[in-house]
Amino acid sequence: MGRAMPALDELAPLFRQVFDDDELTVTRATTAADVEGWDSLTHVTLMLAIEKRFKIRFKSSQVASLKDVGELADLIDALTRS
Amino acid sequence: MTVAAELLAYVKARHPRSWRGVEEARALDTARFDAYAELLLGWAIRALGDGAIARTVDAFVHFTSDVNLAQGRYEADGRYESSSYREVYEAVYADRATMDDYLWGVYLTNFLWVHHLEISAFYEARFVARLPERARLVELAPGHGGWGLLALHRRPGATLAGFDISPSSIDIARSLARAAGLADRASYELRDALTLPAAGDADACICNFLVEHLETPARLFEVIAGALAPGGRAFVSGALTAAQVDHIHEFRRESELVLLAEQAGLRVLETLSVGPARTLPGARHLPRSMSLLLQRRTREHW
Repeated sequence: MGRAMPALDELAPLFRQVFDDDELTVTRATTAADVEGWDSLTHVTLMLAIEKRFKIRFKSSQVASLKDVGELADLIDALTRS
Repeated sequence: MTVAAELLAYVKARHPRSWRGVEEARALDTARFDAYAELLLGWAIRALGDGAIARTVDAFVHFTSDVNLAQGRYEADGRYESSSYREVYEAVYADRATMDDYLWGVYLTNFLWVHHLEISAFYEARFVARLPERARLVELAPGHGGWGLLALHRRPGATLAGFDISPSSIDIARSLARAAGLADRASYELRDALTLPAAGDADACICNFLVEHLETPARLFEVIAGALAPGGRAFVSGALTAAQVDHIHEFRRESELVLLAEQAGLRVLETLSVGPARTLPGARHLPRSMSLLLQRRTREHW
């Protein structure tokens, strides 16, 4: 697995809020197939919540191509550093 | 394996976030969904060759993601991101790679979006099925060309002239026409549809999802009326409170499109307004697609 990402810990509460599941845990390997209700609409809801929390703005091409939570965390990390 | 089965397998394996929406569209009308997969995606496979399903489905997923993100920002901001043609021209219309992806993505929405599958059914039943056998069709902003080519496919004696400002559109529409075996009856010209002269000799006009991209939507309905022979019919679709990176005219009510058509001298025969099966949580706006079946009036009072 990749390096520890500060963003990952901060992402978990956002996932729980968007998917309305207090027990939900996420790792870098988590994909849409692992989370009930993670479809194209909840994905955008999640992205907008992340934008607000981290004060970043995604490009739409970035949003569409994310494969798993690890890629999402890496992207957040890159955008918060830039 | 059928084209529909290949399509579904690819979406499920590669784009699990898009699976639910595609399933919903197929559940609405499985026979029609599968038939469009064979026909429309079949043309794309012949046009693009190996990898066509991946190419077009990836483009569809990216396009849908763009739309959903734009709608989310619209919900937050209360307005479309852009309001002028100039703002979106460089970013979208003039960018060849962006336009190619965009057009293939839009092409598949005709049956992969549940509400656009409804529009496709309405288009076929109420417009295409009533066309004269040897109809002379004009298509304004054909984009991928799929709407007009579907009409030609169903009406073997019809001919079509299409006009679009995008070189990508002209290339893709021509490639699909060749793949569909319809190139001898479909011609496409790189031209701003709003500059078309009022020839008044077309039996029918097709113009889907252009009006919300325009700064002067009233002009479009004037061009449609001018292109048609008296009594000629038009099929026009537009987006209402539905954001997209290149949507600049925000229609809020169905009556706005009806009024524009009537003011241009077009009688509104039928309309269909449809929205997606699901929207963003807490959304204030219902994004709709509206289609109008119009007829150029034949006397002073309709």
